[in-house]
Amino acid sequence: MHERWSLRARFAMFFALIAAAVPLVIGIALWLAATRMEDNPVPPLVLFGGAASFALIGIIAWVAQLFDTHVARPIVTVSRDLQTLMHANPEHEIHENEARYLGVLGPTVRQASEAMRQLRSDIDAKVEEATRSLERQRQRLETVLRDLNEGVVVCNLDHQVLLYNQRALQALYFGGDLGLGRSIFTVVNRPPFLNTLERLRNRFTSGRYKNHPDHLMAPIVFATPDGRYVLQGKMSLIVDEREKEPQSYTLTFSDATKQIASLATRDRLLHDALEEFRRPLANLRATAELLNQSSKMPEDTRKEFARITAEESKELSNRLTSLTEDYHSIATSLWPMSDVNSANLLSCLARRYRDHPVLRCDVSGEPRYLHCDSNTIIELMDRLIRGILEESGAQTYTLEASKGDKRRYLDITWSGDPIPASTLDSWLNEQIENGAGNMTGYDVLEHHRSDAWSERVEDGRSRLRIPMPDPVTEHTKQQSGAPPIRLEFYDFDLLPRLGDSGDLATRRLRDLTYVVFDTETTGLEPSNGDEMISIAGVRIVNGRVLTGESFDKLIDPGRTIPKASTLVHGISDEMVAGQPPVQDVLPRFRDYIGESVLVAHNAAFDLRFIELKEKQTGVKLDNPVLDTVLLSAIVHDHTDQHTLDAVAERFSIEIPEETRHTALGDSLATAHVFLKMVDLLEANGITTLAEALAASEKLVQIRRRQAEY
Amino acid sequence: MNERADRKTVLVVDDESNIRMALQFLMEEQGYAVRCASDGEEAVEEIKKSPPDVVLLDVKMPKRSGYEVCQAVRSDPNLDQVRILVLSALCQHVAIEKATAMGADGYLTKPFSTADVVEKVRSLAAWSQQHHA
Repeated sequence: MHERWSLRARFAMFFALIAAAVPLVIGIALWLAATRMEDNPVPPLVLFGGAASFALIGIIAWVAQLFDTHVARPIVTVSRDLQTLMHANPEHEIHENEARYLGVLGPTVRQASEAMRQLRSDIDAKVEEATRSLERQRQRLETVLRDLNEGVVVCNLDHQVLLYNQRALQALYFGGDLGLGRSIFTVVNRPPFLNTLERLRNRFTSGRYKNHPDHLMAPIVFATPDGRYVLQGKMSLIVDEREKEPQSYTLTFSDATKQIASLATRDRLLHDALEEFRRPLANLRATAELLNQSSKMPEDTRKEFARITAEESKELSNRLTSLTEDYHSIATSLWPMSDVNSANLLSCLARRYRDHPVLRCDVSGEPRYLHCDSNTIIELMDRLIRGILEESGAQTYTLEASKGDKRRYLDITWSGDPIPASTLDSWLNEQIENGAGNMTGYDVLEHHRSDAWSERVEDGRSRLRIPMPDPVTEHTKQQSGAPPIRLEFYDFDLLPRLGDSGDLATRRLRDLTYVVFDTETTGLEPSNGDEMISIAGVRIVNGRVLTGESFDKLIDPGRTIPKASTLVHGISDEMVAGQPPVQDVLPRFRDYIGESVLVAHNAAFDLRFIELKEKQTGVKLDNPVLDTVLLSAIVHDHTDQHTLDAVAERFSIEIPEETRHTALGDSLATAHVFLKMVDLLEANGITTLAEALAASEKLVQIRRRQAEY
Repeated sequence: MNERADRKTVLVVDDESNIRMALQFLMEEQGYAVRCASDGEEAVEEIKKSPPDVVLLDVKMPKRSGYEVCQAVRSDPNLDQVRILVLSALCQHVAIEKATAMGADGYLTKPFSTADVVEKVRSLAAWSQQHHA
């Protein structure tokens, strides 16, 4: 128990013992003196003895106070400074002035800290030098992964994500939230993975993989949990050479939803055509042959057969029209196409003529998304522009993606006459240079279900127009449904299986997954109608703040935001108008945090807002919660300054002014503060979640008792 | 439209003789004076020689396509009154838009109903008469 007393408390106890001893010693001494004296000396002895005792106790209390100020408190401050310097902030300054009465201790500690700082700096420089080349290689790998056209995900054998690339994020975004350390099954359906993985593991265990043409790889088709998106690719088992057993698996895949849907529709159309055309065709053939062959047919029968012929012909025509419309309504052909921004496409084409002696191309109009194979379209347009130059002699062209009533077009406009249809026809029948295969211009147009023509427009100008398919997905300037660009997308330290690490409470603080969150509100009184207007969170996985996997949502509070409050967080009524209400946002936030430990600065405030909305949103957060205000009071007990700004300053964490008091900005600052605190907590012997929660709870009880006085 | 008050002329242009014969019969039955051409080049000659009121025009033909015939007619100011109804097996919406851009006044997809052809020709001939007068 004595080890748990602070240094200052122990010193105070020493002085208290001395003070307690004073009346005792004086009392005994005077009693012994009184027994040897003949008169009645008790009253004067009690009087003077009592006075001397009080005087001595007063002097001891005064000395104890001086000792606390000059010795005990400076020792605690210097110790905390040293802890901060060693574990959290190498730049932290020692409060030498505080230690001015400690003799050589202050200067010695300062010298020691400077020596340590220098040593650390030397080590850092060497580590930095050694890792620089590794970093370059890592960046190359990241670039390759990021730009790969296929989705890539690496998981450990507990199906926790160790790596993913941008394409994987885009493809799986609508299934759920793909994130490091999270189960892949939050974004895809489970059975295909388990089956394929089991096949591969069996192949490995039996040794069959050595002679297998696919080695440790197998094709896989899987879907998002709601079944809306179908993906196909390959799964490969990764075997650790040292441990000689599978450690993880890689998944490469592409979105096959549209191809599979198109193929299914085509199959159905073909089936329908075969089945539905058979009956009217049979009737038509029979009646036509009878009309043609039978010369003795009665007039009534001939008329009836003629009626049947007309009827079945009409039926056949109607079915053909319907079939053709269905066929053309299939959104995409099997030719690989993607949504392309016209500004990029046309600029790329225009750049080809920068060094041309006469030909000039300007890109004009508003950029639009088109669904096309950009490579073959550029080659086709290049052929057409060179043709027009030869045919009309026009040297300046305007390239534009325009939008008509029905569809989008690529237009090439010039001053002069339209191109004769026969000439255009001959160009389009030529093979396209640099295109894939031996495609003609008409082949390219056919892949895009398109055609091309030339027509006159105003001011003596003409244009060549190519209709283009609409983009498959809706693109807006700020695509709210699109996944954000993420900066962190792999963490191989997650490779050891976290599932084996036992109960959450007994796990080390630095091994846990956290969501650090913050809210912005209309005011400070949730019970009196104040509402949340913004909620944000960032994940900490394996001791890293994953800024790319953040959650950041504005909320329509359904009431006005006081101007004083807008001045703090910068969120106005206009900004929240049209944003989702709290009953939409909080369930998504709950999905985002999953099983993580929650962290917030003054968590009770934010949690109260969420708790009051429980009936409305159905969201009840049972996750363990750590409060950085309480943790700061534990690791920095020499001060009562525990605001986010004060704590961040002690750890030399800069909070950009523009993000301070935004939910995401404060979440990020709190996350970085929290990571520093984990180091200091460990230095104070608090290493597990259970210990951190117990220490916080103890502090809360102490504060509560203090408040009672 | 069996009365023959004004003998409007219709030029049927198609390289398939069966449909040419059928359309000729249909148009004559409706009281039109009918001429025929079996390819684009012959069509342009026929139109320039004596401009018809309405041209029933196929698209895919030897020598000159239906689009070329459209362009040739629309580039000649003397042929402004000629109305062109394209009858084509191409049923994409893009094909209809292209024919319109080339100068066609109407478009019917093969296979078509004879009633629809009669109706379209009647309205185009009426337009031709109003603007020619």
